[in-house]
Amino acid sequence: MLLRLRMVLAGVWLTWMVALGAHAAPSVVIISSEGSAAYGETAQALTEELERSGVTRSSVLTMSTREWADGRTQSARLYVTLGAEAAGLLAASAPAVPVLCALLPRSSYEAALLQHGRKASSQFSALFLDQPPARQLELIRLALPGARRVGVLWGTGLSGDRSEFRAQAQAVALSLLEAEVGSEEQLFPALKQVLEGTDLLLAVPNPQIYNSRTVQNILLTSFRANVPMMAFSPAYVRAGALLAVYVTPHQVGVQAAQLARAVLQGKALAASGAYSTDFQIAVNEHVARSLGLSLDAPELTRRLRLLEGRP
Amino acid sequence: MIVRRIRRRILLAAMLPVSLVAVLLMAAFLYIGLGDNEDSHGQRARSMARQLAGASEYGLFSGNVGQLQGLVRVALQESAVRSVVILNSRGEIMASGGHMTYKMPARLGAQEVLDRDILRGTDLLLQPIAAEQVVLNDLFDGSASASAAPARVLGHVLLEVTGEKLRQRQLQLLRLSVMLGLAGILLGGLLAVRLGQGVIRPVARVSRLIERIGRGEFGARAELREQDPLRDLQQALNQMAERLEVGRDELERRIAQATQELREKKEEAESATLAKSRFLAAASHDLRQPTHALGLFVTRLGQLTHDAQAIDLVANMDLAVQAMRELLDALLDISRLDAGAVPVHLQAFALNDVFDQLKVELALMAAEKGLSLRVRPCNVWVMSDPVQIHRILLNLLSNALRYTHAGSVLLACRGKGEDGSAWIEVWDTGIGIAEEHQEAIFKEFYQVGNPERERSKGLGLGLNIVQRTARLLGHPLQLCSRSGQGSRFRIELPLTAPGAMPDRRGPGRRESLDELVGLVVLVVEDDDLARAALVNLLTSWGAMVAEAPSLAVALEQLQRGLQPALIISDYRLPGQENGIQAVLRLRLAAQKEIPACLISGDTDPDLMQAAKVAGLTLMHKPVRPAKLRSLIGHLAKRS
Repeated sequence: MLLRLRMVLAGVWLTWMVALGAHAAPSVVIISSEGSAAYGETAQALTEELERSGVTRSSVLTMSTREWADGRTQSARLYVTLGAEAAGLLAASAPAVPVLCALLPRSSYEAALLQHGRKASSQFSALFLDQPPARQLELIRLALPGARRVGVLWGTGLSGDRSEFRAQAQAVALSLLEAEVGSEEQLFPALKQVLEGTDLLLAVPNPQIYNSRTVQNILLTSFRANVPMMAFSPAYVRAGALLAVYVTPHQVGVQAAQLARAVLQGKALAASGAYSTDFQIAVNEHVARSLGLSLDAPELTRRLRLLEGRP
Repeated sequence: MIVRRIRRRILLAAMLPVSLVAVLLMAAFLYIGLGDNEDSHGQRARSMARQLAGASEYGLFSGNVGQLQGLVRVALQESAVRSVVILNSRGEIMASGGHMTYKMPARLGAQEVLDRDILRGTDLLLQPIAAEQVVLNDLFDGSASASAAPARVLGHVLLEVTGEKLRQRQLQLLRLSVMLGLAGILLGGLLAVRLGQGVIRPVARVSRLIERIGRGEFGARAELREQDPLRDLQQALNQMAERLEVGRDELERRIAQATQELREKKEEAESATLAKSRFLAAASHDLRQPTHALGLFVTRLGQLTHDAQAIDLVANMDLAVQAMRELLDALLDISRLDAGAVPVHLQAFALNDVFDQLKVELALMAAEKGLSLRVRPCNVWVMSDPVQIHRILLNLLSNALRYTHAGSVLLACRGKGEDGSAWIEVWDTGIGIAEEHQEAIFKEFYQVGNPERERSKGLGLGLNIVQRTARLLGHPLQLCSRSGQGSRFRIELPLTAPGAMPDRRGPGRRESLDELVGLVVLVVEDDDLARAALVNLLTSWGAMVAEAPSLAVALEQLQRGLQPALIISDYRLPGQENGIQAVLRLRLAAQKEIPACLISGDTDPDLMQAAKVAGLTLMHKPVRPAKLRSLIGHLAKRS
């Protein structure tokens, strides 16, 4: 009898809570630049992770940049943007609540800040797609233990994490062979210069240098020079890069949810932005075989995680 | 002919569509082939340019002139390629080869351009070289979906292609299609001829079959073949021919039957005629024997001395015998005409001689009837037989006198001059002949208005004899008469020039009695009465007569030393021999060609013929004494 009464009471409370939640302002609004699979997956992982940590589904709202631009803005306790476009939009509107820019390269985040005259702060922070330089350099050591010199092409303009790379390289006893590429005409000479005497070409995200038009010729040139390339996304591995370390949309979603929950719990976001904690490694078996290498992606992942002190 | 026309039509009907289809196919083949060829040529040139552009990409990216030159060299090995130029993004020539015949285009765009120079027959392809896009679908590109960033043009390929090879191919194609078309027409024609034969042969067969049936070959049959398209028709034709054949056979059978029946009827009729003739011959023979004897007796009786009453009786008897003789003569005439035994001696003679003779002969008869017989003299000469003409005219005039009760009978001649013929006409003022009888009066024993056959009105044989004789001589005979208004008979004779005096052996010439005195005559006659009469008559003429009832007796007499100057023998003798054989045997026995003559009651034409062949004169019973005496006189002279 008592049990039955308790169940009825619980049901009534649940119903009231649901009704109240539907009418209350959402806690987190996710603004997605696109409706593509990667964005959807990120948003879904984010929502599910929040839900798992106790945030009700109704208090997480997903909307598109278009809906945002149409003026259907929602007040919330945290805005999570997915993609460069949404980040730019939020940078422009400068809301009073914290903004977490996710699913975008560091260069895009910096470009958005620069464009709207904002500074990186806990109010407008980011979760970069880029992998931390240390992780990348550690992976080089794990995958190609004999490699000593690493070639890197920098774009003109934003310095990015160039200095960090240099520092980390020094730390792991790798020498960086650097070249700057101003225009596409300079790409081949710069590439030729960098590939001369290096053991590996490390591709650092920069759409001016690495894009769908250039990747073929860059890979061809590096292949002819017998220099493998380590890239930043699985697409490059498929196109002919030896290996890549990257973060998946799911991993981004999960990590963004963790950061969001911290914000909801009253913590501040990291002012300088954050690198992904989790990662994935992809290896092109064909390229490895043609270069006489034997790389095992899961093994590399395990060892790299171990190095980073993660299970 | 029809077959040839059908063949022509079939050939045309088959060839026309075949040719049309062949020509259309040829045209379609040519159209598609040329189009394909042109397309493939253009496509090949374009794909060559694209491949060249693709292959040049890295060379341009890396500025590798050597590699680009290598590409140009390879491209020039293609037969249709005249020249190749590879330009970089600034329009500078990186590599080139071949013989360039065009001006460098001023503007190099990002689009493929095909510039066709019809005059030179060359195509210039401008192919931009763009960096190959790799679909990265990368979050780092700022967009996760494939970004359609415009391709950067790295440079251009200028490919000049000649159409010479294309022209050659097209010419080949044209030749091939024309050859195929002709082959198609030829094949179609052969097929048409072959198929046409399949139709024409049966048609020709049927045509031939119909022709044969048309000629009356009802036994002709078509050979039925399984595959024959006209099998049914031929079958029907076969049936038709069969029915025709059966029908014809039936018809022939019936005709044969009818002919057979007709023949039997004819034979019946002929045998009836023969029976009649036999009866006539037998009757006249049997009549002649007694008449002959009677005549001789009457003549002999007249030579004896009698009282006035007896003389009158003898005269009447003589008249009766005379009439009987006339009747038998007329029957004999007809028999002779039937047998064709009347000799015709055509000669030129003066018609007036015959007229004169007739006038003398008939004057008495005319005077007795109180008629005037007028004979108009004429001086023409005609070509005919005077004896037969005399017989014809005697009959006609006798008839005229007989049937004229008052008035006159006229005999006249009308020379016609122009066509060389003369008409002899016999006019009378008698009872005339009705039109319905005019044909029938020429028949034997036909008499108009004499059913009781009164003797004085004649025998009814005269006109029949006239007609037969005229026909024998070839002289047309005409009758013109009206009932109650007299008649006119006329006969046409050919005129001739006056010539020598004719042989005037007319009837009624008298021989001298002295010729016969002492003449030894052998009479062979089985009939006692007739023999006695003949012996009496000959004896009265002063002849010495030896008589024999049979050949054996006669031969006996010759053996006894009899040397006759003349033999008179009956034709029918007892035993095997006839008169002709008897005469020959007697002549043989006497070893001498004794003159002889035959006497017979028979009017059998065969007998007359046999006598003629044997060269013996045949006299028919009853023999007129005058005629007999004349003959004897004549034969006596020969011996």
